[in-house]
Parts: sequence; C-alpha cells; structure tokens
Amino acid sequence: MADASSFSTPPQTAGEAVREQICIHCALPIPPADLVVETVDGVERQFCCQGCRGAWLIITGAGLDRFYRQRHWQEPGLPEGAFETPYDDGYLARFVETDGHTGELSFIVEGLRCASCVWLNEKILSGLDGVESARVNYATHRARVRFDLERLGPADLFAAVSSLGYLPRPFTRDAAHQARERERRSLLMRLGAALFLSMQLMGYSLALYAGYFQGMEAGAKKLLQLFSALVATPVVFYSGWPFLQGAWRSLRHRSPGMDLLVATGILAAWGASLHAMWAGGEVYFDTAAMIVTLLLTGRLFENGARRRAASGVDRLLQLAPDTARRLDDSGAAITVESAVLQPGERILVTPGERFPVDGRLLEGTTEVDCSAATGEPLPQARQPGDPVLAGTMNLLAAVTLTVERPAADSFVARVARLVEEAQARRAPIQQLADRVSAWFVPLVAAMAAATWLFWQLSASQEVSPLLAAVAVLVIACPCALGLATPTAILVASGAAAGRGILFRGGDIIEAVAAVEVVAFDKTGTLTEGRPQLVAIEPAEGTADELLARVACAETGSNHPLALGVQAEVRRRGLSLAPAMTGVRTLPGLGLTADSPEGLQLIGSRQLLVGHGIIPPLHEDTAATEIHIALAGRYLGRLLFRDTIRPGAGELVTALHRLGIRTVLLSGDSQAAAEQLAARIGIDEARGGLLPEGKCARLQAERDAGRRVMMVGDGINDAPALALADVGCALAGGTDIALTTSDLVLTVPRLDRLQEALQLARSTMSIVRQNLFWAFVYNLAALPLAAAGGLAPIHAAAAMALSSVCVVANSLRLGRKKS
Amino acid sequence: MTLSTIALIFLSLCVGAGVWLVFLWAVRRGEFDDPEGPKFRMLDDDDDDENPSRKR
Repeated sequence: MADASSFSTPPQTAGEAVREQICIHCALPIPPADLVVETVDGVERQFCCQGCRGAWLIITGAGLDRFYRQRHWQEPGLPEGAFETPYDDGYLARFVETDGHTGELSFIVEGLRCASCVWLNEKILSGLDGVESARVNYATHRARVRFDLERLGPADLFAAVSSLGYLPRPFTRDAAHQARERERRSLLMRLGAALFLSMQLMGYSLALYAGYFQGMEAGAKKLLQLFSALVATPVVFYSGWPFLQGAWRSLRHRSPGMDLLVATGILAAWGASLHAMWAGGEVYFDTAAMIVTLLLTGRLFENGARRRAASGVDRLLQLAPDTARRLDDSGAAITVESAVLQPGERILVTPGERFPVDGRLLEGTTEVDCSAATGEPLPQARQPGDPVLAGTMNLLAAVTLTVERPAADSFVARVARLVEEAQARRAPIQQLADRVSAWFVPLVAAMAAATWLFWQLSASQEVSPLLAAVAVLVIACPCALGLATPTAILVASGAAAGRGILFRGGDIIEAVAAVEVVAFDKTGTLTEGRPQLVAIEPAEGTADELLARVACAETGSNHPLALGVQAEVRRRGLSLAPAMTGVRTLPGLGLTADSPEGLQLIGSRQLLVGHGIIPPLHEDTAATEIHIALAGRYLGRLLFRDTIRPGAGELVTALHRLGIRTVLLSGDSQAAAEQLAARIGIDEARGGLLPEGKCARLQAERDAGRRVMMVGDGINDAPALALADVGCALAGGTDIALTTSDLVLTVPRLDRLQEALQLARSTMSIVRQNLFWAFVYNLAALPLAAAGGLAPIHAAAAMALSSVCVVANSLRLGRKKS
Repeated sequence: MTLSTIALIFLSLCVGAGVWLVFLWAVRRGEFDDPEGPKFRMLDDDDDDENPSRKR
C-alpha cells in the first residue's frame, strides 16, 4: 500500500490515470518502485500494488466497473491492512449462525465510504457460488450474508470482500445485542398495532359521544360498543403487554411503580367498559387505548436513543487493532491475532498504525499520538525503553516493541472494563412518577376496599358494593399520571434537540435537573485542544520575518504546533518563500532544515542546547515554547497556548449562580490545572489524574450524597462519564466519549450546557405541575364514585380534562425560549 | 341503523387491519432496520451504462 499522506484528485477515466500515475483502484499516487502494469484490450492500466490490480480485475471481470465512475470518495486510499485475510474458517465458524445447511454470517466491512461501495460489496458477495442473499447496511457498516455451508465457507466471504480492498471484521452478535434488537422490533410492532387500532377506535368513539348527547338507537349503540371492544382488546393486551408484564413484576417484588399504576388504570377502564357494555352503560375503551399508544410512542423514542449508547464499549475495544505483526527469532514478521500475544514477544508496528497491546519500545524512535489515551493534543516522543499504550497511534517510523501485557489486559481493555463496571454500578434513577405511585397504588386499593366494605355492611340496597368499588378504581387511577412525565420529556427533548442538546432518555433530564456538582475535563473541553500562537519574541529582526522563517520549514506538517503557525501566517496575510528542502524531523525535539545561510534549528530548548546554543531563560513557563536559531545565532522564540473555549468563564459563573459547585479534573499537571481554574473561576482543581483517579474523585462526591455531572471528551474521560450521574460530551470529542455520555451537546459550545441545565429544571417543574393536574380532577370525582352516584359523564369529563391539561401544560415547554 | 352503515364500518375495520398486517410484515422483513441506506440506493440505477451523457 502506498503512503496516504498526499492526495490528488481521483482519476476520471482510465486514460487520465495513465498520465497522472495514479492507481486506478485506490486513487493514490504510485511510488515508481511499486508500479504494477496490466494491459487489457491494448490499454495499459497502472496500479500501486498487486492487491489493487487483483481488485480491479475482479470488479471489471464481474462487469461492475461503473463502480469507479460512481464512487464519491472524499480522499483516496484503502483501509490499513486491506487485501490481507488473517481469519480462517475455523476461527470464523463460531460467528456463523446455522440452521441445517444454510448459514448466516454478520460482519463489519471497514472502508465503506459511499453508496457505491455498498452496492459493489453486495454485487460481489451475491455473485459468489452458494450465496443466497447478501445485504450491506450502510448505516451500521454491517454485512449480513446467507449462504450454503456445503458450497462455501465463511472465510471465502471474507476473502471476497478483502480482495476488493475492504476490510472485513468478525462481528459478535452477543446475546445482549440480539435482545436489544428484538426489543426494538417488538416495540415497533406493538406501537404500530396500537396506532392503527386506536384510529379505528376513535371513529367509533366519536359516534358514541355524539350518541350520548343527541340520543342513539339502542341497537346501533350496542353495535358500535361491540366494535370498540373488538379493536380495544388487542391494544390493551397485545400493545399494552409491556405494561402488564411490568405491573406483574412489580407486584411480585412488592414495589409498586409506574407500570402497576398504568396497568391498573387501563385494566380498570377496559374491564368497567366491558361490564358497562352488557349492562347498557357508557364505555371508555378509547381512554385505555390512547394511554397505551402515547406511552409506547415515548418508549420507542427512548429506546432509539439508548440503542446508540450501547455500542460504546465495542467501539472502544476496536481502537486496538485485532491483528499484530509478531517477529520470530529470525526477524520475520507473521500476522497473528492480538489476543495470542504473550508478554516478552516482539512485534513490529508501522507508522499510521495503532499499537495493539501495551509494550515497551525496543528499537526505533518515533512520535506517538496519545490523544486517545491521555487527551494530550501534542505528539509525544518515544525512544527505546519508553512505554507505549494500546490504542495510541504510531506517527513517524516503524518500531519494534516488547509486549508487556496481553491484549486482554491492555490499556483500552482496562478502560473498557472500567466503563462497563461504572455503567453496571450506577443506580437506576427512580422516576418521580414511580415514587408517587409507590404510595398512591396502595392508597387507591385501600379506598376501593373500604368502599366495598361500607356498601356491603350498610343497609342500603340501591348501590351494588362491587360496582361502587370498581368505579372508585376507575376514577382514582389517573391515567393522566402516566402521561405526566412522558409528554413533558418528549416535548423537552424535542425543544432541546433543536438547540443542539441531546438527552439520552427521560431519566437523564431528571438527573440533570438534580445536579449539584459539575466536574470538567481540561483539554478539549474547557480549552480548544488546539495550541494557538500567542506571542512572537524575536531576538533580532521583526516578528513577521521570524514567523515566515518558521512557516517555510513547517509547510505541510500536520503537527499541532505547525498548524498553529500556519493559522497565524494566514491571519497576518504573510506571503511565504517556497518550502525549504532538507527538513529533518527529530521526534520530541523539533526539526532542522538546510537554508542558504546555514543550518536552521526550530524546536525545544533541548534541541538548541544540543547544538551549543543557550536560549535566554524566561519566566513564563505555562506556555509551550519554540526556539529558533540560524547558523549558530539565536533568533528568538514563539509562544503557544491552548486557548480557553469561548464562554467557559460565563458558564462557570452561571453554574455558581444556579448553586452548582465546579471541579476541574485534568490529566495534565497540577500547575496547569490550577492556572486554568484560577482564570475562569472554578472552585477546585485536580491535576495529574488517570482515568481511575477521575473515577475515584467522582465516586467520593457520590458517596457524599451529591449528584455529579462530568463534562469531558477524551477516552480517558469515558469511565468517569459513565460513572457520573450525568456524563456530558461535546461534539467533536472522541466517539467513545459521545457514546458513554448521557447528555451530548451537538454544537460544541459551552453555553448550551447552561441551557441544558435550565431546560431540565423547568421540565421537572412542569412534570410536578402535571402530576397535580392529573390528580385534581379525578380526586374531585372520587367522593361521587365512593357514594355510588357516579354519572358516566363525570368519569369521562374527569379523564379527558386531566389528560388535556397535562398534554397542554407539557406543550408549554416547546414554546419556551431558553 | 341501516345494513349499509354496518357494512361500511366493517369494511373500514378490514382496511385498517389490512394496513396493520402490511406494517407487521414490513417490520419482520427488517424494512425499518436501515434508515440510512435506501436514500442512496435509489441513485444506483442499473441502466446508465448505455447512456454516456450521464457519466460523471
């Protein structure tokens, strides 16, 4: 594979490709030494490697060459390790689900970038002899293939995909994942059923309501009631099954909750209506069906949000590559699974690859991008003897390292375990409505029993004791109570999403409203994570000259400091001399370049001292310094500082006004943490913390009974995000941070966090109002029911009015401008 | 109530049930599993090879 550092436009036609020396398949420039030529029909095609040639032959051979015209690749190149298949049938067999002689295999296809890639993979897979069907899911990058086990092995499927230059990876459909998938489907079916049947039901109900006021022929009324019962029954027992199940569970555990209340409400309404139908009274089937439908809608939305969160740990583990190149005694590299590596073995890691395990550098000097592990934005120099962590990326040179820990015990695996533990340990938040129903359900049951007992013992024969007790049950179970929380949360989530705030579930809104302590990560959260040039201090010449000199040498570099220099050059509108030649990068030190005037040094104090130049000492040490020297003369220095995100100070002030304490938890030094905390007014600063340290600090707060929110963005924050009552990640953070957090700000602006807090608090006050409205009408009708004098119109009015009040009150949240 | 009204109510029930069954069938077939892919799939018409003016 060619190096992916430079990029040219992909070829439009084969003819242009010849002229530009660009590989037809992967669209990268061809290094002259690697050129592979294939002549078909007298036209010469050029490739960068045998793998690309093979892929092109397969694709054109199958008549699918329009793939090359239709694909939309933002950048050329193929995933690292394409064309290799490190998996065999024996290993893959356990991922195949079989029934008889057809098997079904799900796997991830890496390198899918456009719809044409999906199309190509589907065509090639379904073209294989023995494949029944092949579908590639563009949203999840997952392929699902049904095939004949006798004619084809799973490794053949993998070979077909990897021969095209994509990277297949086994995908474990573990039990938990399958259960989630099933739950979502069954929820969708139950909701669909509830929707269609409720629509029918509303038609009949409207006729019945009209009949109640205008009078209706007894036969017609009976018939409409019968139809109502026919469509309402499946809604109650099929669509409402999750609630009935939950109610039964809470009965067995003797912990009455929301589900029990909802189940009692819908069963009482349905049962009383059924009885009224025989007795010739009024029916309330529509109430039961409407409650079920609205509650299921809320559940489906919440389920969708949670589903995205569940993939977090999988994605974290993917950071460390599955395969590694192990060196044997003769120095030959063999590709093996990372899982089989043993401490003491030697492995080879090339630039652009992530380290598969924790180890110690044996040979070679390089720079490592540790941002995934520590959040530190600048690459770190590593020399023989230095430790490296799994999941961090090798940037500069191929290195050999000694394995120190098996893959199952590596840094990413430990973080993944921390995340899983934290997620498991977090106590479920008890919803407000659950707490209300805990005492309300027994109360209603007692009241119904008392009514029955009273009429049983009384001499009066006018009131049937059983009917009066059922009436108490129906009227006292406020169906609107079931709607109080979900409707408010639905409206609030919608309003929040429009402002770039995503709450992952209703309980999160309640938790956010109750937050007492907010802990922040430093780099990338409160600061931009991008060093900016803050001062130029030339020892001779002007600032512009010095800047231009540095910029010439650093042209084309992706180093964060070089990007800072380039940004400043653009801001000042300087024109640059052509890029310098003879630039050598010295890992961790800087770079040297040959210029007409002599050797130019750009880098750390250490680099200059190494060449016999002693830069003058300065007091300001909080910033990163770059010193410049030319032909033995000291020219000056550039100062960089990671800038604070706009709005950080305002946010901290606003949090303090809301009565929330703020803490800074940083992986950086204590001094750096304290300096930032002092600048924006954070109450407490802790530096030098590892992921475990951040968790321990949060746990201490939780043990003290305070509700904590963690705001972070790095992989090192993931366990803390999962442990906190509310984890909050800003967009632009790492995937794992986004997926382990409960609150995501899709606009990376800190003022949104304050909005989220205020919205959560006003949502909770709306929920409390809703609970009040849900009760007040029904409680008013309760004495009538207990007295045995409940008219149907009273029941209908109480039920409808309380529901309408609750829904209307919730809708106020959407109109609020926060 | 006339017989035709009853027939109409019954008919509407049948239509509703039919739509519901189609929906259940679609969920079981996995039509709602991939909300991203289909919007790109329509761009892949298989017949543009004979129409050079549409080549990019």
